[in-house]
Amino acid sequence: MMRSIKQQPFRAAVLVLVWGWLLFLVLAPNILVVGASVMTRNPSTFISLPLNLDAYRQLFNPLYLDVFLHSLYMAALTTLICLLIGYPFAWALSRVEKRRQMLLIFLLIVPFWTNSLVRTYALKLILATNGLLNSALMSLGVIDEPAQLLYTEGAVIVGLVYLLLPFMILPLYSVFEDLRQDVLLASHDLGAGRFATFKNVVVPLTLPGVLAGVMLVLLPAMGLFFVPDILGGSRNLLVGNVIKNQFLDARNWPFGAAASIVLTLTMALLMFAHRLSKRRLGEEGA
Amino acid sequence: MKKLALAGILALGLTGCSSDDPQVLNLYNWSEYMPQEVLTRFEDETGIKVVYTTYDSNEAMYARLKLLDESAAYDLAVPSTYYVSKMRNEGLLLPIDQSKISGFDQLDPELTGLDIDPSNQYSVPYLWGTTGIGVDTADIAGDPVTAWADLWDERFKGKVNLTNDMREVFHMSLRVLGYPGNSTDPQQIEEAYEKLTELMPSVRTFNSDAPRMPFLEGEADVGMIWNGEAVMGKESMEALEYVYPEEGVIAWLDSFVIPKNAKNPEAAHAFISFVLQPEIAALISEDIGYATPVLSARELLDDEVAGDRASYPTPEDMVNAEFQTDIGDEALQVYAKYWEKLKSGL
Amino acid sequence: MRWLSRSYLTLVYLLLYVPIVVLVVFSFNDSRTGYNWGGLSLRWYDSLFNNHAMVQAMWNSLWLALTAATVSTIIGALTALALHRYRFRGKRVLNGMLFVVMMSPEIVLAISLLGLFLLLGLKLGYVSLLLAHVTFCLPFVVITVMARLSGFDERLPEAARDLGASDFTMTRTVLLPVIMPALMAGWLLGFTLSMDDVVVSTFVSGPSYEILPLRIYSMVRVGLKPEVNALGTLLLVFSLVMLMLSQRILSRSKQ
Repeated sequence: MMRSIKQQPFRAAVLVLVWGWLLFLVLAPNILVVGASVMTRNPSTFISLPLNLDAYRQLFNPLYLDVFLHSLYMAALTTLICLLIGYPFAWALSRVEKRRQMLLIFLLIVPFWTNSLVRTYALKLILATNGLLNSALMSLGVIDEPAQLLYTEGAVIVGLVYLLLPFMILPLYSVFEDLRQDVLLASHDLGAGRFATFKNVVVPLTLPGVLAGVMLVLLPAMGLFFVPDILGGSRNLLVGNVIKNQFLDARNWPFGAAASIVLTLTMALLMFAHRLSKRRLGEEGA
Repeated sequence: MKKLALAGILALGLTGCSSDDPQVLNLYNWSEYMPQEVLTRFEDETGIKVVYTTYDSNEAMYARLKLLDESAAYDLAVPSTYYVSKMRNEGLLLPIDQSKISGFDQLDPELTGLDIDPSNQYSVPYLWGTTGIGVDTADIAGDPVTAWADLWDERFKGKVNLTNDMREVFHMSLRVLGYPGNSTDPQQIEEAYEKLTELMPSVRTFNSDAPRMPFLEGEADVGMIWNGEAVMGKESMEALEYVYPEEGVIAWLDSFVIPKNAKNPEAAHAFISFVLQPEIAALISEDIGYATPVLSARELLDDEVAGDRASYPTPEDMVNAEFQTDIGDEALQVYAKYWEKLKSGL
Repeated sequence: MRWLSRSYLTLVYLLLYVPIVVLVVFSFNDSRTGYNWGGLSLRWYDSLFNNHAMVQAMWNSLWLALTAATVSTIIGALTALALHRYRFRGKRVLNGMLFVVMMSPEIVLAISLLGLFLLLGLKLGYVSLLLAHVTFCLPFVVITVMARLSGFDERLPEAARDLGASDFTMTRTVLLPVIMPALMAGWLLGFTLSMDDVVVSTFVSGPSYEILPLRIYSMVRVGLKPEVNALGTLLLVFSLVMLMLSQRILSRSKQ
């Protein structure tokens, strides 16, 4: 361990590059955001002095708590569904012959290179009352009346899952790829059943991938404003919509900035609390 | 076949990087809101290259021009109705020299000298339209729909489409209550909000990316729609009718303006003049599907287009019609507050 | 077991491709409104090929996504390695900053980055777009690579170091092969994010460099034209052809 502290050109270069990038392109603009959040809204220049906390005070409104909880619920449900589909998928993918894996990964991601707005419209063609799915089900005699699929919460969830699935699968795949067959065989040889092997060997080894996938799906899902707009008939506001509206429609920048900061802090707190409770559980178990 | 397609794409990609013409016009506009043919002909005629950049909402266009300030590089933009007055009042625009615009006298007097720019010192009308009621006549029974108030009718429960536009939705509700559509009175706005909460159980969707779609999808039978969308929708759905409501349609007008830091205002003037030529204006109107304010162009239009009441309303249709105006910041905050409440269902 | 996993894979692929198939089919639809079937036609391909601005925007988008994904993979991988291996002050701050990027609503990222670029007097265009795109892709790469590294046997790099390898050599020969699948995953995610971003790009792009998502979103004024379906189809065919070519080259080089 001592050795890595020793000054090395490569290490120094890496740290300078990484810190430089983040300080310049993340910290600096975020200082601007924090600054904007404590300023006064101004109709002709967006923001102006004097400094005050009005924007934060405005957040104490049950409406925003409601919107936040609703967004969190939608995002969590999306994440869960992505995980349920993605976990076995990534596992199955990692067990295909190596030669084929590359090809399959690319085939997975290629549909996502078509603009998501265009793909969301294609989903609409499928889900609409006069759409393909309803026509197919009706001609098969499964249903008599077209079902109401579009402009429902369910449609929003389908849209979010469809747009975010690779963000769950790819990190999972990258850990499954490392899961060696001999580990599973060893577990089996030691007399563990399939379920025990899964629970005690596979899950712990792939947990980092699960956590990464959850992060990559949950956090963006809170902000994908156009999915509720197009598939949900924009009847449910999500956090992303509210903040975008505050910046562009209502032109209340301090409020938009404050909402974004509070959102980030709340999510960080939730994750921290989750980690803490996990650790405590782990200690009790040990 | 695939190879051919590939070669085609490659070839097209290369044509993009051609010579750098000294004369450039930076046009900031909605995408596909100016036919390629018009741009090509302008370039051929004047030698000025048009660089066409796009935005997806008036709000985004306004915020960018304002933020960019001196580093903005746009010579021409196309804001909708009240954004003209807003930008004018905030000193974001250059005056337009009417002596350099040929064809200004050809414009519909109903569409010039509006409140947004009383003497058209800063703006020249480009295209205009209305937001009225779309009705899927095949799917509804009973009395015909004639007024905004009909949207509240029980028989349309769960079948109403509204545009996803705060000002338009409130405008409509204010008109139903008999108030001006551009009201700034908090009391009236609140009443309009209360009225809208009664409508919410009927509302299927808010749609402003293509208001014809909920009708075609079979999701909506009645609701707010732009006239151009109604015309387009009718192509695949004969039963879709456009109705001018008794309380008055919402009229809007997209105008050319020259942003304050334009690098080439001369070219901007030349472009406006070019577009106002009757022949070009007619071409644009037919391609885009919205009405041109150039009176002499209307005679050149297809009879079918010119005679379509949805695109070119009669004077009776326009009774009570109102253009949106800049309501000022205070009222905007009131609208925004109620809009959020309405959409989150609280 | 084997057939079960095979059929599961197939099923998910089918579901993923259903909307794409719809899109491809409708790109040959003659109807302008894009809902009803109006007969078979190539008119949208024809009008697409005449729409130079759109094709140019597509090339710009591809180039931007390619470079942004590559740069963010390099910087993201180095960040993950630094977080994993080095001891330095402010690790939490670094992690926190990445989290902030993930969590920031796009509009906040857009306006704050534009504010920064304006303060610095940076000309808006390719460079500003690249900086912005790399920044929002970065956490995706870092998180993916970190997940892979966390299961990694720490004794390997130690052994390499004991055998006298320099830090750089060790990273290249021991760590790089280990994180390769994660790098590929991160690059693909970055490419996808960059190809699709509209809000941030709206604000930080300039007239000199317009990208595809902006043009597509901006179409809502007059309605999305079926041209975009044609464009999506071409992009799909292009990606698949490239994919097959690279597979052939790879398998040939192995023989």
